[in-house]
Order: sequence, then C-alpha cells, then structure tokens
Amino acid sequence: MSETTTTAITLSEPDDGRRHTTNLGRIVSRMRRQPGTIVAGAFILFLATVALLAPVVAPYDPTQVFLDNVLEPPSAQFLLGTDDLGRDQLSRLIYGSQIVLLVALGAVIIAAVIGVPLGLVFGFNGGWWDRIGMRFVDMAQALPGMLIGITVVAILGRNIVILMFAIGLIGASLFARMTRAVVLVERNKLYVEAAEVAGLPRRQIIFGQILPNLVGPIVTQGSVFLGSAIMIESAMSFLGIGLPSEIPTWGAMLSLALDNQAVAPHLTWPPGIAIVLTVLAFSVFGDGLNDALTGERKRLPRLGLRLAQAEEERAARAATSVSTAPGAVTGTATAVVHGDDAVLVTHDVSVALAMPDRSQTRIVKNASLTVAKGEIVGLLGESGSGKSTFARAVLGMLPPGTWLASGSIRLLGEELAHRQERELSHVRGTRMAAVFQDPMNALSPVHTVGMQLTEPLRLHKGMNRTQARTRAVELLERVGVRNALARLDDYPHQFSGGMAQRVAIAMALAADPELLIADEATSALDVTTQAQVLDLILDLRDEYGMGVLMITHSLGVVAETCDRAAVMYRGRIVEDSPVATLFSEPRHLYTRSLLDANPANAETSGRLVTIDGDLRVEIDGLIDQLDAEEDAR
Amino acid sequence: MTGDLHTSATPLLDVRSLSVGYELPAGLLGRRKVVPAVEDVSFTISHGETLGFVGESGSGKSTVGKAILRLVPPLAGHIVFDGRDVADDGARAPLSYRRDVQAVFQDPAASLNPRQLASHAIETTLRRHGVTDRIEIRSRTLEAFEMVGLTRDHLQRFPNELSGGQQQRVAIARALVLQPRLVVCDEAVSALDLSTQGQIINLLGDLQAATGVSYLFIAHDLGLVRHIAHRVGVMSAGSLVELASTEQIFDAPQHPYTRRLLGATPSSHPDGRDERRARRQAFRDASSVVLEAP
Repeated sequence: MSETTTTAITLSEPDDGRRHTTNLGRIVSRMRRQPGTIVAGAFILFLATVALLAPVVAPYDPTQVFLDNVLEPPSAQFLLGTDDLGRDQLSRLIYGSQIVLLVALGAVIIAAVIGVPLGLVFGFNGGWWDRIGMRFVDMAQALPGMLIGITVVAILGRNIVILMFAIGLIGASLFARMTRAVVLVERNKLYVEAAEVAGLPRRQIIFGQILPNLVGPIVTQGSVFLGSAIMIESAMSFLGIGLPSEIPTWGAMLSLALDNQAVAPHLTWPPGIAIVLTVLAFSVFGDGLNDALTGERKRLPRLGLRLAQAEEERAARAATSVSTAPGAVTGTATAVVHGDDAVLVTHDVSVALAMPDRSQTRIVKNASLTVAKGEIVGLLGESGSGKSTFARAVLGMLPPGTWLASGSIRLLGEELAHRQERELSHVRGTRMAAVFQDPMNALSPVHTVGMQLTEPLRLHKGMNRTQARTRAVELLERVGVRNALARLDDYPHQFSGGMAQRVAIAMALAADPELLIADEATSALDVTTQAQVLDLILDLRDEYGMGVLMITHSLGVVAETCDRAAVMYRGRIVEDSPVATLFSEPRHLYTRSLLDANPANAETSGRLVTIDGDLRVEIDGLIDQLDAEEDAR
Repeated sequence: MTGDLHTSATPLLDVRSLSVGYELPAGLLGRRKVVPAVEDVSFTISHGETLGFVGESGSGKSTVGKAILRLVPPLAGHIVFDGRDVADDGARAPLSYRRDVQAVFQDPAASLNPRQLASHAIETTLRRHGVTDRIEIRSRTLEAFEMVGLTRDHLQRFPNELSGGQQQRVAIARALVLQPRLVVCDEAVSALDLSTQGQIINLLGDLQAATGVSYLFIAHDLGLVRHIAHRVGVMSAGSLVELASTEQIFDAPQHPYTRRLLGATPSSHPDGRDERRARRQAFRDASSVVLEAP
C-alpha cells in the first residue's frame, strides 16, 4: 500500500498538557486566563455555597421575630440590622439566596426545555413549521415579560414552581430564537449531509449531530438568562406578585425597605447590592464562557493553529523517518536585480506570530522578492507556507497577532515598513491594490457596486460624482462586465462568482495601481472562469504596464501567467527563477518535488508522486539547515 | 488498477434520463417554480469502475451526485442500483442502500462534526448499521483508520486538531467502513493542497484495487480526473454533453464544450502559453460575436 510511509508516522502523545482530550478541558483552561470570569465564577460559587449551607451560616431563623429589636440599625447582634417585624436581615438575605438561585435555575431549565426543542424543530424542518412557529415566538417576545409573569401567577397562583414556570416562559422565546438561528447555519453543513448518507434517522441527526454544536450557545445564553431571571424574580417579589410574603426573597426585602426608607435607610443596601452583584456575576460569567467557547478561537489566528499542527507533524516525521543527511541539494534564493523599473523591492522580510503559549515564531523568514514594471511575479506555495502572510505584509494588512519583525518593503523606492496605518491606507488606494480569493468578501453586500467603485475614485482621485460614475462605467467595461451602466446599481450578490471577481478587479484598477497583488484571486473559480480572469489580468498588465504579484498554490496558474516565480516553503523563499527555468530546470528539491507531484504533469494513469515520508524529511532538513545557518550568524 | 470492468453483464449503477430540479418558494399567490438543475442525464457505472464527472460550477454535476445519494429527489428518470430502481423509494432511502452507497464531500473540515471526536463519526455509522458489540465497533473503527493511513492516536482527536488531508482520510474511512459498493466523491480533493491531493487520489486507487468499490468522482479539475477515472462524463448546463473513455476525452474530445474546458485547464508547463492565450482570445471573440448578434 502506498500509505506505508504515512502509516509509519506515529505521533507521540504530547505530555506538555497543551492538548486536552475533551473540549471541556480546553474551555476550562481558556477561562482560567480571564480574570473577570474567575472573579464572577468565584462569586457564584460563594453564593451557591452560602445558599446550600444557609441553615449553618445564618445566625437566626429567617422568620424568627424579635419584637424588641424592630428596625434596628446594624449591630453586633444583628450584623445587617432588623426589619419592621424585628427579623434578622442577614439571615433573610442568606435564606433569600436559596430562593433566588432556585427560582433562577429552575426558570432557565424550563426556558431551555421549552425553547431549545422548538428552535431545533423550526430550524431543521423549515418551511411552514418555521414560518408559523416563529410568528408565535415573535408574538411572545413582543409581549412584555413581566406581563406574561403576572398573568401566569394570576391564573395559577403564587408558589415557587409556578414562579419558575412563569419566568421560564418569558425566557423560552429567547432560547427558541437562538437555537433556530444556530440550527439554520448548522443544518447546511456537510456533516449533516454526511449523517444523512450514513442513514441516520432525522431524530438522531437533530439530537445526536446538531445538538452538541448548540451546547456552547445554550450554556452561554443560560448563564446570561440566569441573571435576567434573578432580576425578574426580584422585580415580581418587589411588586408583591412573587412568592408569599413569609418566604424571604431579595425583591420582597427591597420592597419592605422602600416602605421603611424614612426610618431605616440601612435596609435598602443589602438586598440591592446582592441583586446587582449576582446579576452582574452571571452576566460576566456567561460572557466569559462565550469567549472561552468561541472568542479565543477567533482571536487566536488560525494561522497559529495550523502552524503548530504543521510543526508537530514535521517533528513526528523527523522522529520516525530515517533521516537523510541534508545538504545534498542546496537551494539558494537569488533575487533578480532590477534597475530603476522595479515597482516592489522587498528585502529580508520577516513576519512574527504570537503563539498560544505566548512565545513567538516567524512565519515568514527573510523573504526577498522584487517585482518590476509590467512583470508578473508568482509566489507559489502550499497552504500555511506563509505566502499570503507575505502579501499581507506588503499591503500593510497583517492579521492581528502577527507583525513585521524586520526587513524593508519598498514600493517605487519609498519605504513602507513600519509606516502608520493612515499613510498605508493612502498608498493602498493609489499605488497598490489587491484582489483576494473570495470577491464577495471584498465587496460590501449592502452597497451597490457603483457606490463601491465610485467612492475610492472620489476619495483618492478627487473626482466629482459624475466623473466618478463615468470612470466606473469605463472600468467595468474594461474588465468585461456587460451592460456596465445598468449594472452599476446592482448589488454584489446579483453577480456570479466570476463576474464578482471582475468587479473586484475593477475596484483594484480604480486606484491606477503600479502594483497589483492577486492573492489566490482565481482559486475559487472553476477552470473556464479562471482562464478568463487570468487572461484579463494579462491583458491589463499589457495595457497599463503594472507589476503583478500573483500569490497562488497552483502550478498551472504560474505556468500560464507568470514571468518569474518564487517558491515558498515554511516561510522561506527557496527558489526564485524565470518561469521557463523554474519548470524546466528547478533548482530546489522542493520545487522539483512539487512539479513531480502535479497531477497534470504525469501523463499516465499510474500512481501519483507525493511529497511525504523521507522526501518531506529531506526537504525539511534543507530548511532546518538554512534556519540553523541564520541563527549561527 | 483498471482490472476487468466487464466481469458482470449488468452495471452496478444505471442512471436513465435523470432530471432534477430545485423548487423555488413562490410568493403567497404565485405558483411554485421549479428550476431545472439536471436534465435527461443517462450513464452507467460498472463494478470496480471510476467514472469521472467534470464541468463548471452550476453545471449540475454535484446535483447528479446528490440525487444518487438521495439527498435531493429526482423529478423524473430512474436510478437503478444493482437492478433495483431507487427513484421509486419514498422520502427515506432503505438502510441497505445507505450501506451500499456512501459519499466523500469537498470540504473535509465541514463534513466532520466539529464537536465530536474523529472516531465518533465512524462509530455512529457502524452502530446505525447494526453493529452493537462495543469491542467490535472499536476494532472496526481502528481497522478503518488504519486502512486510510491514520493511527490509533488520531481516533481521539477533534476535527480541528487534524490537518486537511487527515480530515479527508477520516471522511474516507467513514465512507468505506460499511464496505459500500459505490462511493460518490464530490470534489473530494479540490480543497486540498497539491501534495495532499496526490496522496488521497493514490489512497482511493489503492482502496479500489483492494475492495473493488466503484467511484463517481466529481471534480472541476480535469487534471485530477485523468488519473483516477476510467471514463469521464462532461456536464454543461445540466446536460451530459460527452461521455467517453478518459483517453478519448483527453486525446480526441468530440464536443466543443469539452474542447473549451480542456483549453481552459492551465497547462503544467509554460511552453506554448502565448498560443494558448491567443486561441482562447479568438474563441472569446467568436463567441461574443454570436452573443451580441440580434
């Protein structure tokens, strides 16, 4: 079998505790890094302990009446004073926490039990289920929550279960709406189709496949709603429609304090502070939980994760494969020297990335690349090689968590490295422009194409409205959009993928750029559209004489369009040659392997050459050697 | 790898005059509109054969795959699998059909449940298909993982802890664990890196040699299809415009659309690219004249 080399790879179990076998472990470790969440969590824990141990901690029975000590201010005997019947405030507060937590927890559970299945059913079934069901949810949400609460209590009477039910009903619509929103996204994911293909019944798909993906949002929503439930409970008790008055609740205590505010102002503070702190704690905790579940994953650049994985795999390969002595082939990257017609000259550009464990690593290492006027230079590499990061460094648009560590980036002789964002933005609007993989991301969905084309023209070129519109039509016609004048008033979603990419190119052209950066600009398009867009870029280069930096993972794109190409691997440019040389006499081992592995290259229907096992180890060895040489210097 | 394709007289899958459409939700009073995605498509897949399906996005090639997988209902036509027309089945496909016909999708990250361990996908499938013994489930899962070049260590990982190639291997393991007879590979390698693509294609070839499974290999990249397919079908605007052996499609394409598709496929070497560009330009000029004529 071909997979012998791969099968031989056994990843040693990392013992540094970085990987958690469960999602829960990961979430907990993330939450530990959020001080606010820890404080809120500690408070909630404290509150829960006090509530559980109320009979032990409370100095008195909450209903015990001391007729001699009515409305007494705080003293040694009654730490928080007494109320109008001479009951100990502290004990009532402590016992009140039991009720508050019980009602809130019960309400959240009831809200989730009613809301989540409704949301699942509406979201998954869609159609009439969804349309009619959601109208009811809308109606329920339009009613003031308190009104629902009052009605339920008025009909069913005042006791703790009914109160939970009343508050739960208020929250159910929130849960239903949130669940439906998540399900609508999840049900279109491929794993749901895969489950269908596996023959799983609908019930199991909803509850076994989709529900686990809802746990995060549900827990978060639950925690936040706990705070709201406490507030509603307190408000209802305050208004005297909560629980019977002999049961101590914070809301009722507050109500009582208000009646006696003139004589005993100290009574307002304890329940007031308790309510505020508890509601706050649950909200902060819920927020932190949400961050731990999703936020950090977002904040931590995907790049970092991917890189860590790649490093780990590489280490594993090196550990298990027979290591060949590196140095058999040394690829030295030589930059072609250009005279005055150089548009972009980068020298020793390094980009650093902050890793999850707070260390740094360089994801682009000493990359030097030159683009001349009218030249199309390819930057070829696999995903994670650092090619897009390099492009973003040139554009001054590095993603958060990464920064330009060293090097010089000169555009038309002007140094761009370490310039202010405002200046870079002007440079991007006038002298360099970029086209990215997904045109729909580059275009704003809420504005017409005309608006998006004319705005930069007016901003950077000082045109008036009519001039800008005329120019926009010219540009659209130039990139091959038929019926350009009429299409100015269309929105991006009315364009097909290929046409949208043409519009994105027109937007880039609006700047009259000297340098166009095309970052995987045709990767999402199918072959026929790709050929058209590539031809367009070639035509525009011939016409305007701009330099083009073509970032791509496709050998075919390089072969068809580039004059010169650089090959990037693990953040390094390993080879930089004229395109004919690159394909006919590749110098670096990695380039040779890539060419061999190109499915379009092998003419027969035999096995494909792959880059793995010993070959990968050998290539990695070459890179490691370069790294080591540099460190030594 | 080719083997003898015609060992049995009846093909494994026989698709006859298949039409599929998507219903558009109409307004309150308007009639429901059906947008045809696939019209009158017929082809067969033999035992142990790989049929490649190529075409632009929107050409209907994925819809054909979905109809075979019973993810979309056909409007008309027959899908005869192993002598039985599955187009007649009701809303739900019988479990035996699910066992025989499996799928590998384009985006490996999305086709695995992000909240479940890699092994879970395979265990659920096994359990659904009547394997109840815990030890047997565990051993068969490991067996499936090893078959696709993964190790015991990968079982206990979440999808986001696996690389794209590893994720796709898990998806292939899930598809093959039931020993299906047909696997629909819908752009199964398109999202992967060049070097990983090669590995997965080799893997699919090896598994076919070992188990005799048939593939419907859907892709927009002709270069990939060439390696794995015995025959290639070319889809354009919902119709199958050409269906021939791989050699014939590449060496002597008959339909103009096939020729255009081949012309648009980037070459593996820069030699002669100026001529290719000129040819594409000439073709475009010609077609735009046709389009703009009244």
